[in-house]
Amino acid sequence: MSGNAITRRGFLAGTAGVIGAAGLAGYMSFDAWERAYADDSDTHGTVSTVHSTCNGCSNKCGFTAYVVDGKLRKLIGDERHPMAKGKLCARGYAYAEIAYSKDRLTDPLKKNDKGQFEAISWEQALSEIGAKVQQIVSSDGPGALAMVQDPRPSGSYYAKRFMSALGSPNVYTHGAACYESRESGIKQVIGANSWTSDVANAQMTIFIGRSYADGLRPSALMAMEKAHEAGSHIVLVDPRFTNSQKFADEWVPITPGTDLALVLALCQVVTTEDLYDADYVAANSVGFDEFRESIAQYTPRWAAEKTGIDETTIKRLAHQMAQAAPACSIESGWRGPSGCQYKNSGELARAVACFNALLGVYNQKGGALLYPSVSAGKLDEGKFPSPPKPQAAQVGSDEFPLAVDGSALAAVKAASEGSVKGFFFYNSNMVGGYSNPSYLAQVVSGCDLSVCVDVQMSETAAACQYVLPDTSYLERSELPAFAGGAVPSVSMRTQVIDVVHPNTKPVDEIFTELAQACGVGQYFDFTMDELAAAQLASVGVDVDAARQMGTVYFNDKAFSYGSTPNWKTPTGKIQFASDACKKAGYEAVPSWIEPDVMPMGNELRLIEAKQPIHSHTMTANNETLMGITKKYDLTRAWINRSFAENLGIADGDTIEVSNEKYTGKIGVHVTDRIVPGALYLPSAYGVTVEDQHTAYGVGLRPADFLAFKLEPGYGSAMAHEVCVTVKKVNA
Amino acid sequence: MQFEPIWGVPIALYLFLAGLGGGAFIASAFVHWKNPDAEVTRKAGHFIAPVVVAVGLVLLMLDAQGGFHHPLRFALLLHNLGSVMTWGVIFLAAFEVIALIAAILEIVKRTVPMWLEVAGSVFGVCVGAYTGCLLGVVKTFPLWNNAILPVLFLVSAISTGIAAVILASLIAAPEEADKLDDLKGFHYWLPVVELVLVVAMLFIVNSAGEAAHASVTSLLSGAWAPAFWLGFVIIGLVGPTLVETYLQRAKGANERALGIGSEAGVLVGGYLLRMMIVMAALPITLTVAWL
Amino acid sequence: MARYGMLINTKKCVGCYTCVAACQRQNNLLPSEQFIRFEERETGTYPTLSVETIPLQCMHCEDAPCAAVCPTGAAHIGTDGIVQVDQGRCIGCKYCMAACPYQVRVVNEETGTVDKCRFCTVSANDGTAMCSCVEACPTGARIFGDLDDPDSEISKAIAELNAQPIAGDLTKSKVFYVR
Ligand SMILES: Nc1nc2c(c(=O)[nH]1)N[C@H]1C(S)=C(S)[C@@H](COP(=O)(O)OP(=O)(O)OC[C@H]3O[C@@H](n4cnc5c(=O)[nH]c(N)nc54)[C@H](O)[C@@H]3O)O[C@H]1N2
Ligand SMILES: Nc1nc2c(c(=O)[nH]1)N[C@H]1C(S)=C(S)[C@@H](COP(=O)(O)OP(=O)(O)OC[C@H]3O[C@@H](n4cnc5c(=O)[nH]c(N)nc54)[C@H](O)[C@@H]3O)O[C@H]1N2
Ligand code: SF4
Ligand code: SF4
Ligand code: SF4
Ligand code: SF4
Ligand code: SF4
Ligand SMILES: [Mo]
Repeated sequence: MSGNAITRRGFLAGTAGVIGAAGLAGYMSFDAWERAYADDSDTHGTVSTVHSTCNGCSNKCGFTAYVVDGKLRKLIGDERHPMAKGKLCARGYAYAEIAYSKDRLTDPLKKNDKGQFEAISWEQALSEIGAKVQQIVSSDGPGALAMVQDPRPSGSYYAKRFMSALGSPNVYTHGAACYESRESGIKQVIGANSWTSDVANAQMTIFIGRSYADGLRPSALMAMEKAHEAGSHIVLVDPRFTNSQKFADEWVPITPGTDLALVLALCQVVTTEDLYDADYVAANSVGFDEFRESIAQYTPRWAAEKTGIDETTIKRLAHQMAQAAPACSIESGWRGPSGCQYKNSGELARAVACFNALLGVYNQKGGALLYPSVSAGKLDEGKFPSPPKPQAAQVGSDEFPLAVDGSALAAVKAASEGSVKGFFFYNSNMVGGYSNPSYLAQVVSGCDLSVCVDVQMSETAAACQYVLPDTSYLERSELPAFAGGAVPSVSMRTQVIDVVHPNTKPVDEIFTELAQACGVGQYFDFTMDELAAAQLASVGVDVDAARQMGTVYFNDKAFSYGSTPNWKTPTGKIQFASDACKKAGYEAVPSWIEPDVMPMGNELRLIEAKQPIHSHTMTANNETLMGITKKYDLTRAWINRSFAENLGIADGDTIEVSNEKYTGKIGVHVTDRIVPGALYLPSAYGVTVEDQHTAYGVGLRPADFLAFKLEPGYGSAMAHEVCVTVKKVNA
Repeated sequence: MQFEPIWGVPIALYLFLAGLGGGAFIASAFVHWKNPDAEVTRKAGHFIAPVVVAVGLVLLMLDAQGGFHHPLRFALLLHNLGSVMTWGVIFLAAFEVIALIAAILEIVKRTVPMWLEVAGSVFGVCVGAYTGCLLGVVKTFPLWNNAILPVLFLVSAISTGIAAVILASLIAAPEEADKLDDLKGFHYWLPVVELVLVVAMLFIVNSAGEAAHASVTSLLSGAWAPAFWLGFVIIGLVGPTLVETYLQRAKGANERALGIGSEAGVLVGGYLLRMMIVMAALPITLTVAWL
Repeated sequence: MARYGMLINTKKCVGCYTCVAACQRQNNLLPSEQFIRFEERETGTYPTLSVETIPLQCMHCEDAPCAAVCPTGAAHIGTDGIVQVDQGRCIGCKYCMAACPYQVRVVNEETGTVDKCRFCTVSANDGTAMCSCVEACPTGARIFGDLDDPDSEISKAIAELNAQPIAGDLTKSKVFYVR
């Protein structure tokens, strides 16, 4: 364990410490040490600080942990970390409890014939999994194995290497339920997966279904606040009046699923009125003529009809943006409408990227920035031999050729058809929410082999045959996490506390041992520490220094405004028209596509969104966060006031939400904060695993209402292509 | 966010029993003075008083979990002479001691001296009024924070105390109960006074801001309306008054059963009054303009 | 002696609950023990509306009703003006909870005693400490400091932003709000 011991005095001074008579009780309510430290005076000495990174969501914010005699006492967000900028969010504080959670997985588990889990030894788990893997590889080839993992520093390296060693290209992320369409669509236009809107320095930014105050990243929220204070014009296009409104100037409520129409119309206004940057477009793009021709049909009047936003507003927004250019952008979005939610998500992402291109905002101050990044260089092949590149094409790549990361759901489809036989999951709860959970559970549990590496019994773990217990993020060190940014950086997750449950293992050991059990251990003949040192050495950084500092910046690679990006598209230009999209069945230029379903009559579109205190499926079982949920009744569905009044539904009533897939009851929040045609459910609830004692049975899970359908070409979940009806439940 | 009442049934019961105890002692002293031969009735009052107050105190201690885990801390209750609760503890303690002495004297068949009856009655009044003052000084809840509440609680305390004593008398010594005309005559008017006080209080409170209005509404037409109208007004006030009126005209007819019913009604009403006042009150913070 | 106070800028509060979670974790509170509570007010009608999020916590009143009614002296105003609850004296009678107009006192389910924001018992050290909620708030909606020092960040901000106690001079609150 790395840590630099400091004196108690130093601790207080260094943190501007808050340690008073009562405050001394410490940090975690892990009883044993709470008691030990409750009456702390000067009796125990070793206070150490460790820099590490949060695992509460994919932002992986850096923090300093203050550890007293081996027990975590306090967390402070690291000023140096690019996502944290000195702050953690509520999840960042509370999720630290996972280390001591009473619902932790403590031993390898195997499902018996009755469908119940029994604890087994690591030896048994590894040898049985190894034998099954070899059996599948010999009968169906390595392409019948798939891995889903949420990219975390060690996890993505080891999971991918493990699969490559076996010869399988089928490594997926959660992308199909998050960002896949957006990154893939953007990539078709500008050759990069995304951009960062320079919100803080912009004159105007339009957010389309992205809420910095809810889908939280501390640094992004701070940038928005800064922009607001500087008088930047901030527009939120969203069916909901989100918490980000605090720092916005305008709410543009939109009929969900129709953002593509809005953006096409914005493009139409700036092209037909010649408000775009013609020189920029001429110098940097291909396909503009085709685009201009096609876009003419998408008039503001047409879009007004689709979106419910009035024509003058659409025109005004286009004019304001053109005026602000190039210090403006449409923000890239994350999950939202372009991420994975609609049949037109990928098209929306393309349209947005095209709009920003029309205004020439890329890499301009206040515009859309393509930040540089740094990654580990080549390592010593003798010590870290690269496995041969898998021969087969990734499962799903024929049907969903546009998906930059592939689609885990395509692998599910393949499994349902019998061509994928074995599934591995690392730090992923696919079953709990990438599409319809009961369907996913059925497919996963029908596979010949299913293995889940997790820290608690997730829906995915519950569906698998083998469950392997990871250490929590506080109990392990990981490989360096490289991050692009204004100044690219690398941050370190470093072990904060000793392993709590002796029979859990960190991710690197799990995959190393799995590889050995599968007969491919030769690719794992090194320790994580050796690898981390080598990766960092390859970019000129000393591993110990990095762990000491938490985050190291590559100042020589810093971004500067005004450069022309290197467009990494097939044509080397911004592509207003894309051959690949055409091949995948789309128009070459972004074009209107109707959502897959539209609410009819009294139906509502079911939309979901983040709440600032929860992450996906993984925090609902956190007692502190769930305490907040319960205090403020945060599981409630939102429906529009006038719609509710028509149905005789009042705030606080219980309603039944139903469609052909699922029916459930939930409290309702009747509010003006949502458009009339939608019903909002927070996305974190409805956990169906009894072993999660805090989360089980609380609230509804939007995914339960969803049908297993994938966005053409992209393979995303189309998470909002779902309608429901509601009725009041009597008492 | 829904407002969770700070106190619940145990404290409502405590307030009710404290008042009842004080009232019962007063009733008993009154009987001692006016009907010296109504021994059973007098004894009943002298027994009821210390017992119900003790039960109430136990409830209070059970509700005060911090003290329950560390009983020595209850000694600190006398610390703050500025706190109504501290006065209450003093009154209750003094009252309980006097009531216990009276009860012991009854058990050993010695006469309770008149000065002790007077002293007990004085503290009985203090206890009854204290239960109202305890809530009355709390500015957070407009339903509590008005001058009528302590008076209302005191009247109700005496009314429930008398009811308990008459009830005991009706059950254990009906022939004595027949002769308690003075006590009954006094008792007859108490529900009427209560009714006037309640109407006045709700009227005043209703216009004392949003939280106040919301509290009153919840009593009169909201979640508490059944308890208020049926339990408190009909069973607790109007019913007993009607029954007693009827009994005064038609002496004899089913007198005992009706009497028992009406006194029990007064007790039910008295408890419901405490419960509703404790639990229906809404804090100003939920609705006032400054939020 | 410093007179500690806090400023809460509701115009910057996005209702992210970070302050709550930070307070709970750094002060080792139970999941049910939240020292900060929120009132939310939605005004206007679709689609023109605004939402105000108001975090409330102990106002460290100079006229503290909680201390006035507490029979045991557990609730008291410390020499530094920080209102405290002596956990070793509190019997859990909840009289203070009833008396607090801001409804910011909570029962500790394990001990049965009542607790509330302690200003992170800042003064127990040397006055240099910082409150966890202030430290954690991502939007800087909170400022803590010495109200008697005209040069402190909080004093300047109160003057500049015309921050006011939430309920006027009801209890001489030392938490000031920008709204
Ligand atoms: N608190 C919290 N923060 C997180 C995470 C978390 O789990 N919890 N996870 C991180 C991750 S992985 C992600 S992907 C991001 C997600 O961050 P976001 O993409 O910002 O989050 P979402 O909540 O999915 O959706 C954002 C908004 O889209 C709106 N929306 C829904 N449908 C439509 C539509 O049709 N049109 C428009 N215009 N808007 C629509 C919703 O109302 C919501 O306000 O958050 C990151 N940060
Ligand atoms: N129901 C629902 N479904 C969703 C979403 C949602 O909000 N709700 N959001 C969507 C979005 S935007 C995304 S990005 C994806 C995210 O999808 P995932 O990345 O799968 O995220 P989670 O659903 O939170 O599941 C993460 C899993 O990792 C486990 N875990 C946490 N820490 C560790 C660790 O240290 N080691 C290991 N081995 N496991 C760990 C958690 O217990 C949990 O089971 O989900 C999508 N689907
Ligand atoms: S945003 Fe919050 S949960 Fe996500 S990594 Fe940062 S602190 Fe952790
Ligand atoms: S942390 Fe700051 S922004 Fe978030 S709820 Fe608390 S005061 Fe408001
Ligand atoms: S806010 Fe409430 S708890 Fe804090 S000092 Fe004032 S009355 Fe007491
Ligand atoms: S609960 Fe504790 S602090 Fe509050 S009034 Fe009672 S003894 Fe005092
Ligand atoms: S000042 Fe300290 S105790 Fe008070 S709310 Fe903030 S973090 Fe909690
Ligand atoms: Mo995501």
